[in-house]
Amino acid sequence: MTQVLILTLDAANFMLALLLVTLGLVIIFGLMNVINMAHGELFLLGAYSVVLVERAGGSYWLALLAAPALLALIGLLIEELVVRHVYHRFIDTILATWGLSLVIKQAVIIAFGPTAQQVSNPLPQPVEILGAVYPAFRLFIMAVSVGVAAGIFFLFYRSRLGLAARAVIANRPMASTLGINTRRMDRMTFALGAALAGLAGAVMAPLMSVDPQMGVGFLIPAFLSILVGGTGSLLGALLGTTLIAGSSSVVSSIWTQIVAQMVVFGLAIVVIRLFPQGLTGARR
Amino acid sequence: MASPALRITGLAAGYPDAGRVLEGVDLSIETGESVALMGRNGMGKTTLLRAIMGWIRPQAGRVDFAGRNVTGWQPFALSHAGIAYVPQGREIFKDFSVEDNLRLGLIGKKHLPQRVPDLVYQRFPVLAQRRAQKAGTLSGGEQQQLAIARAIVGRPRLLLLDEPSEGIQPSIVHALGEAVTAIAREEGMSVLLVEQNLDLVLALTTRCLFMENGRIVAEGETRHMRKDSELLERYLSV
Repeated sequence: MTQVLILTLDAANFMLALLLVTLGLVIIFGLMNVINMAHGELFLLGAYSVVLVERAGGSYWLALLAAPALLALIGLLIEELVVRHVYHRFIDTILATWGLSLVIKQAVIIAFGPTAQQVSNPLPQPVEILGAVYPAFRLFIMAVSVGVAAGIFFLFYRSRLGLAARAVIANRPMASTLGINTRRMDRMTFALGAALAGLAGAVMAPLMSVDPQMGVGFLIPAFLSILVGGTGSLLGALLGTTLIAGSSSVVSSIWTQIVAQMVVFGLAIVVIRLFPQGLTGARR
Repeated sequence: MASPALRITGLAAGYPDAGRVLEGVDLSIETGESVALMGRNGMGKTTLLRAIMGWIRPQAGRVDFAGRNVTGWQPFALSHAGIAYVPQGREIFKDFSVEDNLRLGLIGKKHLPQRVPDLVYQRFPVLAQRRAQKAGTLSGGEQQQLAIARAIVGRPRLLLLDEPSEGIQPSIVHALGEAVTAIAREEGMSVLLVEQNLDLVLALTTRCLFMENGRIVAEGETRHMRKDSELLERYLSV
């Protein structure tokens, strides 16, 4: 019983961190029609921000605030310098952001070296819930992710800003014609997406090996989640990450990581074959 | 004398794959004036509205609005300056509620109160009944009323209307004409109407421009159009 509980908590943990990455990708794709191949590296930069802050003598909690703020800034910069110039050329956005991902990864290697960095666990003591002993920090991650994801959903579906954003997604020229500043919307969207990736990187840093390859490990399941869930809504991201992260965690606990990957890809192929627009796409 | 609401000089524009459509358009609309733009299909009427609203970039020429050079401005900037556009096909947000569609007409206008004014629902009572309904479930005529209402809540100084009568029953066309005329008169709003439906042109406008091959080639007073059908004959009949 405790075994099942721990497995469920682990799956939820992975799913929630993945959700932060996926939400950023979905919002950027929905609003700007840009597939951000550098999203994994924004996650990476979030994790390395923690390394940087801790080296400078700051606490993990300070890093947790600094990482999304720094990444929002980097997002603004990327939008202004790169993405803005290739908006109307879909394939070029993929190439440009992919190029950017290589640059970021190499810059990180130059700055920190290719080996893994250590980030201390800020909440090392475990807690007991329902008879299972579980790391407190993982529970903290889940709380942060749930809070942030709920905030994003609220912002998107309940606020005026969200209404404007959804209007841009539904019909960009008409939204602009009604006076919605699409330029500012693009900037904010990219900054928000980058901040979410940065936050995900920062919360995962104490649990993962912080090395220059860690971004890819999150980007691929995030893309799979979007393909499975559908690009049309944030609900798709939620559904996709639940399915991908859930199946991956469960299978890898029973067999191995490799079998888990095979099962996840197989599952994704089946779902995409049955629902080419993703699980939420069919209903639109 | 005050500068005209809209003055266009030598405007040329087109599409990357279809070449140039507008070949140097000149026109001027006074404040509070309602003007019809007529002509056969493919003569550039819709393209002209799109070029004015910044949906396509002009290749040459100049657009002045309320005394300011607005050539090449983005749609949202033109909207802030006071131009509203109801495109062909209406382009309402079908998955959003009627109320949300109307809120979107206000959302970019920071200086206006963000509550949809009751006056809009009084002018278009059917929208009040359908307030919470998804806009995609409305009939064609209701959707057209929504599109016009959405443009008008933002208190524009100039309204660009592209074929509002398309696919709508005559009784509703008549009501639309009356509503827009009343709003234009009360608010001092100018209107540029692209239309094939003569009844709406007669109800709404005082001057007619005729377009052929990307240029304005003739004009006349609307009230003469019913008697003197020579212009209509020459530029509209196929």
